[in-house]
Amino acid sequence: MEELQKINRRDFIKTGGIAAAATALSLSSLNGFAAGDVLKLTILHTNDVHSRIEPFPMDGSKNQGLGGTARRSALIKQIRAKESNVLLLDAGDIFQGTPYFNKFGGELEIKLMSAMGYDAATMGNHDFDNGLAGFNKQLPHANFPILCSNYDFSNTLLKGATKPYQIFKKAGLKIGVFGIGIELKGLVEGKNYGDTVFIDPIAKANEMADLLKQDLKCDLVICLSHLGYKYASNKVSDQVLAKNNKNIDLIIGGHTHTFMDQPEDVQNLSGRITTINQVGFAGINLGRIDYYFERYKGKRIKTASPYIISNELDS
Amino acid sequence: MDYLRSFRNYLALLAVLLVASCSSGYQLAKSNRAEYAINKDVAVDSSVVKTYLPYKKQLDAEMNQVLGYSDVLMVKSNDLPETILGNFFSDAALQQALKIDPTIDFAMPSTKGGIRVDVPKGDIKLSNIFELMPFENELIAFTLKGTDVQQLLNFIAATSGQPVAGLRMKIVDRKPVDVFINGKAFDPNKTYRVLTSDYIAGGGDNALGFKDPIEKKVLDLKVRQALINYVKENQAAGKTINPKLDGRITKD
Repeated sequence: MEELQKINRRDFIKTGGIAAAATALSLSSLNGFAAGDVLKLTILHTNDVHSRIEPFPMDGSKNQGLGGTARRSALIKQIRAKESNVLLLDAGDIFQGTPYFNKFGGELEIKLMSAMGYDAATMGNHDFDNGLAGFNKQLPHANFPILCSNYDFSNTLLKGATKPYQIFKKAGLKIGVFGIGIELKGLVEGKNYGDTVFIDPIAKANEMADLLKQDLKCDLVICLSHLGYKYASNKVSDQVLAKNNKNIDLIIGGHTHTFMDQPEDVQNLSGRITTINQVGFAGINLGRIDYYFERYKGKRIKTASPYIISNELDS
Repeated sequence: MDYLRSFRNYLALLAVLLVASCSSGYQLAKSNRAEYAINKDVAVDSSVVKTYLPYKKQLDAEMNQVLGYSDVLMVKSNDLPETILGNFFSDAALQQALKIDPTIDFAMPSTKGGIRVDVPKGDIKLSNIFELMPFENELIAFTLKGTDVQQLLNFIAATSGQPVAGLRMKIVDRKPVDVFINGKAFDPNKTYRVLTSDYIAGGGDNALGFKDPIEKKVLDLKVRQALINYVKENQAAGKTINPKLDGRITKD
């Protein structure tokens, strides 16, 4: 029923780029944009920033001079000045990796994320490194929600401190965002997660995504995941989740510190696309995905509609 | 935007069947993706610097302290069976632990994943050691049955080598062979004194062998402190840090 067509680099050049390809498919989005029928949403994202407040020191090591919150903030401000509908998200492991965390317990990391206007973040395994109390202590500095759907904190001091999901409304669009965490056993010391109950991530992610897309009528569903991009074993990962869900549009991943050449588009159980993206670690990169939404002409659309994916921003 | 790292001339066209029952007013028509490199070409938000400056000053006063000097850049690797960074880390931990407990036979004080960053050539500052070993883990000496040591050896082999000291082995078909502990051939009928961290002993990174020890001795020394002491003591003795590969773990 559905067609999955990929145009490689050579074909891309042959057809003369996006405009030609779009014309060939009679895509009306560009016309619609002019008529006000198209909404643009910009997703900005980080993962595994690991307390990297300043750029890596200039000491000859591999990542010297890269990253830094002051630059990230300036870039985010620049983008916000141009775009009206921006969501800024983080996929966890905010904490641990520089002495800023050892000395100040994550206070500065969270304060700066609040200052940069993060809209939501999920928890990575290292966000448990000072225990549940250590994480809880920094929450007063967060002006954004911590989204965790598959950690049950009911019997811990974090009860009520996190949310499973949050819906963001941007210019008439509803964007559902939820968080999925990795199994803590074998990764985090028991005393640091206490009575946290880990819930199967695939089942919970589907429950969340179905709720957000079908019941709560979200136009886009985003999963903030700290599962890891992929593994040699069949351990649950973003790739496994992407193949085994029905309603996730985008997985913003973390944990494996993967520098992806480009986002990966996976066909999910409903035949649609679940995109996975992850941008390395330490705030070396900032990821960006612009989504364009077209207004329905009628109540029901039965024909297949193209969804163009490009690894280039519109100028 | 010249700092956009890579515009990729890649285009995927995806024809997607919309779910007819979807009652939303909007449908996804297009997505464009890009990635920004955060490097020296990006402007700096001075308000952020202003926020972190008081923290930085406090930190730098302590962390810029020079502990010693490395003759080489030590690079982190999650793939190689043996690295000079892993050798530096595990030799330092073992040497410091032996001063507390001279009966230790060998050490696996961290996994590869627990060794977090490169250590630069030149001055080794306290901050370098904190970034190398940010965790608060402690060193523990275990007495293990030979069969439990075998489990640990199997883990090391199955994960393509881990940072070790006092141990030599070859990895063939993901199995340990020609194992020598403290200079003698491994005997599964003997017991061994093994140095590791509380994290690994608790099953961290799914390491094996520490569940059922004969004896356990907390050395009251953090892994990080052992590294700090090692570098400082070398410096005091007029020696630089210059670890070498010695083939302690090889892989087929």
